[in-house]
Amino acid sequence: MSARETILNAVRAGLDSRKVDAEAARREADALLQDLDAIRPKLPAGALVDAFIARVTSPKVAATAERIKDITELPAAVRRYLDAHDLPPHVALQPAAVLEDLDWVALETRDGVKPDDVVGIGIARWGIAETGSLVFHSGPETPILANFLPLHHIVMVRERSILAFLDDYAVAVAGQRPPRNVNLITGASGTTDIEGSLVLGAHGPAHLHVVIVENDIHGDIDADKSTPGASS
Amino acid sequence: MTTPQSTSAPPSSPRVGLFVTCLVDAMRPSVGFAALKLLRDAGCRVEVPEAQTCCGQPAFNSGDTADTAVLARRFIETFEGYDYVVGPSGSCVGMTRAHYPEALADDPAWAERARRLGERTYELMSFLVDVMHFTPGDVKLDASFTYHDSCSGLRELGVFAQPRTLLDKVSGLTLKPLEGNDVCCGFGGTFCVKYSSISNAVVTEKTAAIERSGAQLLLGGDLGCLMNMSGKLKRQGSKVRAFHAAEILAGMGKGPAIGEED
Amino acid sequence: MQEAPVSFKLRADRALADPTLKIAIDRTTGTAERKRAVAMTQFPQFEAARERGKRIKNHVIANLDHYLLEFERNAIASGAKVHWASTAEEASQIVVALCKQANAKRVTRVKSMLGEEIGLPHALDEAGIERVETDLAEHIVQLGGDRPSHIVWPSMHRTREQVSEMFKRAHRVPHQEETIEAMVASARRELRDKFLSADVSISGANFLIADTGATCTVTNEGNAELTTTPPRVHIVTAGIEKLVPSTEHAFLMLRLLVRSATGADVTQYTTFHCGPKQAGDRDGPEEFHIVLVDNGRTRMLADPALKEMLRCLRCGACMNHCVVFRQLGGHVYGGTYPGPMGAVLTPVFDGLEQSRDLAHACTMNGKCQEVCPVAIPIPTLLRGWRDRSWREGLEPAAARFGLGIHTFVASRPRLYRLGTAIAIKVMRLFSRGGLVRGMPGLGAWTKYREFPAPAKRSFMAMYKDSEGKR
Repeated sequence: MSARETILNAVRAGLDSRKVDAEAARREADALLQDLDAIRPKLPAGALVDAFIARVTSPKVAATAERIKDITELPAAVRRYLDAHDLPPHVALQPAAVLEDLDWVALETRDGVKPDDVVGIGIARWGIAETGSLVFHSGPETPILANFLPLHHIVMVRERSILAFLDDYAVAVAGQRPPRNVNLITGASGTTDIEGSLVLGAHGPAHLHVVIVENDIHGDIDADKSTPGASS
Repeated sequence: MTTPQSTSAPPSSPRVGLFVTCLVDAMRPSVGFAALKLLRDAGCRVEVPEAQTCCGQPAFNSGDTADTAVLARRFIETFEGYDYVVGPSGSCVGMTRAHYPEALADDPAWAERARRLGERTYELMSFLVDVMHFTPGDVKLDASFTYHDSCSGLRELGVFAQPRTLLDKVSGLTLKPLEGNDVCCGFGGTFCVKYSSISNAVVTEKTAAIERSGAQLLLGGDLGCLMNMSGKLKRQGSKVRAFHAAEILAGMGKGPAIGEED
Repeated sequence: MQEAPVSFKLRADRALADPTLKIAIDRTTGTAERKRAVAMTQFPQFEAARERGKRIKNHVIANLDHYLLEFERNAIASGAKVHWASTAEEASQIVVALCKQANAKRVTRVKSMLGEEIGLPHALDEAGIERVETDLAEHIVQLGGDRPSHIVWPSMHRTREQVSEMFKRAHRVPHQEETIEAMVASARRELRDKFLSADVSISGANFLIADTGATCTVTNEGNAELTTTPPRVHIVTAGIEKLVPSTEHAFLMLRLLVRSATGADVTQYTTFHCGPKQAGDRDGPEEFHIVLVDNGRTRMLADPALKEMLRCLRCGACMNHCVVFRQLGGHVYGGTYPGPMGAVLTPVFDGLEQSRDLAHACTMNGKCQEVCPVAIPIPTLLRGWRDRSWREGLEPAAARFGLGIHTFVASRPRLYRLGTAIAIKVMRLFSRGGLVRGMPGLGAWTKYREFPAPAKRSFMAMYKDSEGKR
């Protein structure tokens, strides 16, 4: 008997050989997702974007954030960030058309991120107000390493893609074919492995800056996929 | 297993079986007499069934379920006839309330009897407050105290506010908060002698916290824990004196503390 | 996973005699305890959430065959290869074989307690494959040549001074400055090119998502993604109890897991891994393998005294709040998993005879159950091991004899009263100044603390007299 059969038989024996009714299991599982407000934290009153920014910049997440009106203002925002941190004017772009199509004027940009890059610029599909998380899906315009190699990670997210709760993201993508990787990124890389002391920049970025774009953007990342937040 | 604060009127002169507990019986009878007095003051008709011995906790904690069941059946037979069973120990009462049904699980009829008796079995402080709505009379003691919440009473029976409510009525007595009041003192029944070095390390942290509280008295609701903590305090030459809370409430706070000559 | 045959008590006494260890334990667990307490005040829904979490895990366990098959089907559909392993040996052999098949010279690993449980570090070392631990704590454990002492902070037992010395010896460009920041930077430099040049990556999983076939990892360092993205092959090893029905269920569990583990609301990185590189992807492995491991879990499922342990999320809250763990640290427990949850699990993996002390070295204070995010009644499960140990005759003869006599006497009230009276007389013979001194049989108590002298007569004796006069 294969290990697979051995394990499945042992599981069934442990469950008194009860036959599982898939429909009943699904109903029970769905029932366990009811009344979510009773089992998750409350969001502060007011606009979702404000709750998201408050969360991102709270000590728990410890990132920085700013709002811009239009995506065309992103290069200037990046420039301000570089100047404020005394960084050279070289940035690596996530290879997304919406970023590449911008006028980066005096900045030296490179498509793709390399191991020793100092500043990487990315675009998140969603923001989550509950936790201050940014959600990325791997794809042709979203290499996963781009989120982890640079020391400073500047991430743009559309205001209309900000969701209230983690659960809302799960609902938004339910039934779609999952990408290879879904990254939920909440703050910079950190470790408390030496005497419980928090140090940022463990293996991934040491700094995370979030830029929220108010106006809608034409064009999408990995254009074949729609942004579920749009219809709601 | 927490006891909700009862909103109904207290029962009129209920017949209470006092569950003395072995440690109180053998080591510190004054706790038993304090319980007797408080229950009578609260309007109970108290009896002390002579057939009572040990609740079986040492056997249960050692894994000896068969012997536990023997003693559990005895306990049930001894106390079943009373309106309430009350004991001055969260640990022993927790044993009878929370664990008898487990120990008798193989015998559904007895397990059911255990559950039914468990519903009428109370730790002294919670019985006085939750069931009898009792307020101690004219008790005075000029002292500061700190309070250790013994684990079984706290987590199995929800005893937390009740002793504080009662002690608050003793004039002259002031509470000094204990850092880590709900952290185990390292007694653990047979644990403290089976793993005495570990137990010692735990109680050493506890007595340090007791000293930091600055209180003159250490009070609690379980004699085992109190013997452990006061035994360590004495070894360390501490001035802190330990009593069972019932003794203070019954006006015995002028007598010898645990480990003092009688 | 056994230590050298040194008794639990001896190991405990050695740990108690190590002042550095105590400082290290207090720094890490003390911080974790404080942060969790703050997180709880900010999450008043915790009680309701943990009741839900408990029900979700119970639901999965009650339908485990269904969810295993659903997960397998969806994982295969995503392009993953699914392997099954009944034992630790089978599991580590599958992983080693996959590494060899990939001609792996260098393997990078993401911290996984299941990997420790199945002896993977050892199996890879035996097979002559270079193993690079990428979690900072596991990197420290690897450099120190020892074992994890905590499931969330594996190198909890090391002070910064010890870490500094290890890094200086092992790193190519070690830190100059004696700060924790500089040490972390040194590890970052040391490990970065290893991430990118490995042939195979191995991770665990915090959750297996049945309806997508994805595996979920949570980390704060970002090492999971850096580890699993560049190599050609990614292997996941996961216990069969890690299933949840859907991503939405995973998020409910995640809220409980992270708050209980570190006091944060969510880890910096939460990643769902679903199959190998897809068409058009810029990076990711060509092959994605999932090894589903039983190793005693189906035995636990069939055992009412252990079934509830299958809910465990491996958050470590029970150990952070355990008075015994906080004196001893993790190595004393002798198994893969330390602390209260380890005391329940180790007898499953290593046998009860080897590990019977673990269930006994507990005061039954119930704090672990109180803080458990899925309300596992750990004291009850430990009592279950004590019960089994008693029934199997593993308890010392003296204890059996003593309790036998105790029950005999306690079943006979008159004999019991007589016994009490004699005990009081004897104790008072040894008493001076209110304390019992130098009495044989009390040594384990009086070695460390005083034992109070009993009153002259028992309560029952005095009561009988006083009631006679009433």
